[in-house]
Amino acid sequence: MPLDVFDRILRPLRRGTVTSRYPDAGPDLPPAARGIPELDVDRCDATAACVDACPTGAIRVAGSTWSLDVGACILCGACARACPPGAIRIGGRIELAVRDREDLLVVRALRRTP
Amino acid sequence: MAERTPTIDAIDHVPADALGPRLAGELATGARFVMLVGLDERSVGGDGLAVEAVAARPDGSLARLRAAVPLDAASYPSVTPLVPAAHWDEREARDLLGIVPVGHPDPRRLVLHERWPRGYHPLRKDVPAGVRPPEGERRFVPFEVHGEGVYQLPVGPIHAGVIEPGHFRFSAMGERVLHLDARLFFVHRGLEKLAEGRALGAAAPLVERACGVCGVTHGLAYAQAVEMLTGTGVPPRARWARVLLAELERLYNHVGDLGNICAGIGFTSGVSRLGWLKERLLRANDALTGHRYLAGIVVPGGLAFELDPAGLAALPSTLEAVGPELAAAVRAVVRSEGVMSRLHGTGVVPAETAAALGALGVSARATGLRVDLRHDAPYAAYDELEVGVVTAAAGDVAARFHVRAQEAQASLRLLAEVLGRMPAGPVTVPLATVPEPGASALGAAEGPRGASWLWLRAGDGGTIDRLRLRSASFANWPVVAAAVPGNLVPDFPLINKSFELCYACTDR
Repeated sequence: MPLDVFDRILRPLRRGTVTSRYPDAGPDLPPAARGIPELDVDRCDATAACVDACPTGAIRVAGSTWSLDVGACILCGACARACPPGAIRIGGRIELAVRDREDLLVVRALRRTP
Repeated sequence: MAERTPTIDAIDHVPADALGPRLAGELATGARFVMLVGLDERSVGGDGLAVEAVAARPDGSLARLRAAVPLDAASYPSVTPLVPAAHWDEREARDLLGIVPVGHPDPRRLVLHERWPRGYHPLRKDVPAGVRPPEGERRFVPFEVHGEGVYQLPVGPIHAGVIEPGHFRFSAMGERVLHLDARLFFVHRGLEKLAEGRALGAAAPLVERACGVCGVTHGLAYAQAVEMLTGTGVPPRARWARVLLAELERLYNHVGDLGNICAGIGFTSGVSRLGWLKERLLRANDALTGHRYLAGIVVPGGLAFELDPAGLAALPSTLEAVGPELAAAVRAVVRSEGVMSRLHGTGVVPAETAAALGALGVSARATGLRVDLRHDAPYAAYDELEVGVVTAAAGDVAARFHVRAQEAQASLRLLAEVLGRMPAGPVTVPLATVPEPGASALGAAEGPRGASWLWLRAGDGGTIDRLRLRSASFANWPVVAAAVPGNLVPDFPLINKSFELCYACTDR
């Protein structure tokens, strides 16, 4: 099948490089990609809507702190959609490996309290 | 076409000894076995247990046969001798609810391994969730063939590749397999118990994560069961977007699974080409929904959020590029005699075996059985689309390869049509009503491995009383075990990959 042979030579040449430079360069995620939730404490009004919206109970608001257990977060984005002032952003942070379990707990001090 | 009004099929209460004959009678008149589910009736006003057998009739209605089982003598005549496809369902109900199918040919544990204590049935309503039971003492007894020259080859549950856990016990003579005993359920997580008590519409994150690669399918089965129970009509845009998501799921799975068949025989150029194509599709999924495996978007009432406009705009060009590349990659496999000689005649499943065991999806269609829910009982927007059901006759690895290759191209055609016809409008509505406690319904969707069926019953105040997910992998694992005998031990990875079933959604 001579045509096949040409196809096998020409197709990869046309295709060029298909791999990326990750991790030397960024993972090049699309804007919609969901990483872990990030809280903007200046916009947070401490209504704790995120706590109710979270299907896994990963988010807590206690006193003047907001905490997220990244080990329980399933990156669904429900907290960001539920937040009235839009203080939670689902960014592109996807590199979540840590050495110790407790390092998966993100704790933020709130400016306003409930 | 007018929107179908979903109606809940009536439950036919039958005496326990009539369950098997009645179910077999339904199957004799063209119905297909759907599932058998064990129930604890005490949470919905009953005083005992029950089993319900479900079959799908050719007209799209369901036969639902329910038999009461007393708590103090929790047994009934097994339906498996008459309907072999029910064999795992019955063993599961025995393990999880303590409902004993008398006369079942395989009395061994299935879901709960032997280290679970005797008499502990976690899906009974008097057993609390989240409690670690004491460990039992019994040992696993594999099913083995004995005789002169027959040896046992235990493989797994931990495998060399990073795959899921399963124990395969081969009884072999020389290199030829006489019998395969597949032991699964190492990753039984109790997802169904965990769902109980949650709000009726709030279990999507659990159900779609029963496995990693059929989340849209499981999520659709669940969402449709909830929508039927609550009388909720989904907006047109969501119905079309659900087809889009379901076909994207089928496409990346089929492309990846074609590559996996190449991996099963060490045809590395095929693995690379198809792996690269799968990666392009996963990135398109990510751009469209924010998740490479499409999780988190299908929810009861429609979609959790609108498709990303940029991802949606970029999708047609990605799919147009994938089509010819996929065709070229498949051509390179099919024209390689060395490859095809390994695929032809390997892992043959006769159509009668597939039908008796209740095979679903590619596993069934590759034996010539024309089963596809998208065509047989259309949901979402499939009633407005022409789904050509792809079949092959040989029932071997090559047939499963061809069916996937053709279905992937058919998915690309469907996707192009859906992208052109998707209406504008809202993508979600609130659930219309709160169902009566005890009301139950089933939902189903055709995924890459076949039909997922979800049985759902409402409890008090719009909660989940009982949920059971029967994935296509659950249905098809016994078909794998039937495909292996007579083949060489080194061909098992290839046969296994030609089915490419999931362990996690079998185990739940």
